[in-house]
Amino acid sequence: MDKKIFNSNFLTSLFVLLISFVLVFVVLFNHSQNQLLDELSNEAGYISYAVENEGVQYINNFKGDDKRITLVAADGTVLVDTSADERELDNHADRQEIKEAILNGSGTSTRFSDTMMKRTVYYAVRLSDGSVLRVSATQDSVFVLLLSLVYPLSIIIIVALVLSLIISHRVSKSIIKPINELDLDNPAGNESYEELTPLLKKISAQKRTIDKQIKAARQRQEEFRLITENMSEGLLVTDANANVLSYNKAALHLLEIDNIKNGGSVLLFNRTKGFRELVEKVLSGNRAEKEISHDSNIYNLIANPVYEGEKVIGAVIVIIDITESVHREQLRREFTSNVSHELKTPLTSISGFAEMMKSGGTPDDTVVDFSGSIYDEAQRLITLVTDIIKISELDENPSIFEKQNVDLYALSQNVIKSLKPLADKHNISLNLTGDTAYVLGTPKIVDEMIYNLCDNAIKYNKENGNVDIIITATDNKINLTVRDTGIGIPMSEQSRVFERFYRVDKSHSKQLGGTGLGLAIVKHAAAYTGAEINLESMENVGTSVTVSFDKID
Amino acid sequence: MRNKFDEQLNILNNELITMGALCEDAISGAVNLLTHESGKIKENVIETDKQIDRKEKEIETLCMRLLLHQQPVARDLRVVSSALKMISDMERIGDQASDIAEMAEYVTDSEVQSKIHITDMANATIKMVSESVDSFVKKDVALAREVLCHDDIVDDLFDKVKSELITAVQKNESNAETLIDLLMIAKYFERIGDHAENIAEWVIYSITGKHA
Repeated sequence: MDKKIFNSNFLTSLFVLLISFVLVFVVLFNHSQNQLLDELSNEAGYISYAVENEGVQYINNFKGDDKRITLVAADGTVLVDTSADERELDNHADRQEIKEAILNGSGTSTRFSDTMMKRTVYYAVRLSDGSVLRVSATQDSVFVLLLSLVYPLSIIIIVALVLSLIISHRVSKSIIKPINELDLDNPAGNESYEELTPLLKKISAQKRTIDKQIKAARQRQEEFRLITENMSEGLLVTDANANVLSYNKAALHLLEIDNIKNGGSVLLFNRTKGFRELVEKVLSGNRAEKEISHDSNIYNLIANPVYEGEKVIGAVIVIIDITESVHREQLRREFTSNVSHELKTPLTSISGFAEMMKSGGTPDDTVVDFSGSIYDEAQRLITLVTDIIKISELDENPSIFEKQNVDLYALSQNVIKSLKPLADKHNISLNLTGDTAYVLGTPKIVDEMIYNLCDNAIKYNKENGNVDIIITATDNKINLTVRDTGIGIPMSEQSRVFERFYRVDKSHSKQLGGTGLGLAIVKHAAAYTGAEINLESMENVGTSVTVSFDKID
Repeated sequence: MRNKFDEQLNILNNELITMGALCEDAISGAVNLLTHESGKIKENVIETDKQIDRKEKEIETLCMRLLLHQQPVARDLRVVSSALKMISDMERIGDQASDIAEMAEYVTDSEVQSKIHITDMANATIKMVSESVDSFVKKDVALAREVLCHDDIVDDLFDKVKSELITAVQKNESNAETLIDLLMIAKYFERIGDHAENIAEWVIYSITGKHA
């Protein structure tokens, strides 16, 4: 724009300059010609007057003068001439100025020399006797004038050009300046050319719209980010070349990646075979689902392609941590198979004994024996079912039990009383140390807990062993420890003994008569009471289980 | 033009990551075959090796196209040229993994295996391959340097396994074929370790422009 304005300015001034030169020149030249003509006519006037009064010889006074005076007779014959021999001159009757003078009383004409370098102006008047007096003067032609002026003219033109260059430059700069200084961030606040106002207004309006749209888009993005950031599922969005477009924190956390830049390959997250196949499948346009394991966790990956028309432009991958549910599913399966197995064993015995008695011919004392066995097995079944009911109650709705202050010492005494016969059978001594200690809980549940712990301590003890129940209090806890001198639990099994039906020594379970639910009940009861369980055990030395209750304020 | 170039470099990067991941699959498959008995994995490893070979051709073509069409300079040229070198190392890893897989079939004497440090060597090699690919994926020079140090561990383990095998031969502990197979497998692991080291060196070169 600057250049354009400069060019047009410069060209305009150049044009004007040249035109004015030409015009001035023409006007000046015409003016000088007219002046010459006037001069000639004046001179002709008074010469003709003199000639009329003093005779033709007056003309001879002008011989050698720069003006040429000619007297021509009415028929065109030259009578006198100041610059040439009149006898050598031909008839002048056909000369324009002579013709005009004869006809109108006066006449003018201008003729160029052969080389065009000179111009002769003629003025003729008719005298009273019909002859014509002609005065002429010769001057340089316009070309000579021009040639003589070339030097000063070119200096003037050059100076004018330089001036117009500078001025054009300045002018165009000053025109452009306000446009350059427009504050486009704030278009409405500009003081500029009136002509620009509609444009600025339009820009301002569009700017507001764009700002609004950007703000809305940003808000939506922020909302989306907040939602995805707070998801516990990992989310990955990729383009068609498997480059990451977006991801959430959970994705990084689940796949244990520190940081990743957008635009990098999705394989930066994980490059196991399963993941690669999933990405390949989804980017070929098919929904894909896969389970992959990473360290000890199991993830379910669900990938959906994103289409634009017919073309796949990317994919969305959701990562769900299913470790827990897979684990739980496994536990549930184990539980079901354990329950069926535990229920089936006594039932098979009962059915066997009953079948033998049904066929008849069994001696009476054997019938008594069998009945005893059937009774024992039925008792076992009842205990088992009771335990299952207890644990389901704790599982389903523990809130049915109301919490109250419970004395651990008194409960322990009761438990010892009820387990005395069993302990005596194995020659095991039960010792209770400590003092009255109240905790918040349900008597039934806490009793169940102590009972099961002591029951296990006796069952898995050695002959002549000891079981100590120790109640101690710390600053904010009350601990109940049941310690035995029994067979202990191997290190590798310690984490599993609280699982339902889990038994360390699977072959001896029936012999000991447990249901396999004892510690599971303890665990649930502790969870319900808000107590922590700590198990320490050494094989062949003994086991010590500590339950820490919160102290009542 | 630059956009197109960047896109192609990006594709090259992704393809290299895939090829690296395939190498990891191949070596861990081969090691699995050696330590646990399973008939099916052998075919998997050999199939993975074929995939690696195909990938090598693809990446080579891509690099050539980049070199001819884009005429990269400076850093870009380093990336492309080190990619060309890296894929030949990766291809060798794939071949050697499939060789191990084929031999593992005949190494059935688990007793002698447990006596020598072949499993340690396998794990150290897997770690090296995995870390060298990782260093490329993350463009992590420090990790790449770590890989270079790891090679000494694998080399030491190779010497150890060798002397253990010599002792076993002297005591006639197992049949000779198994022992020789084990020695060769150990040598393959050692070679794979060297290739992983090379990959790490190329990673360092492509990032810093200096040879490690």
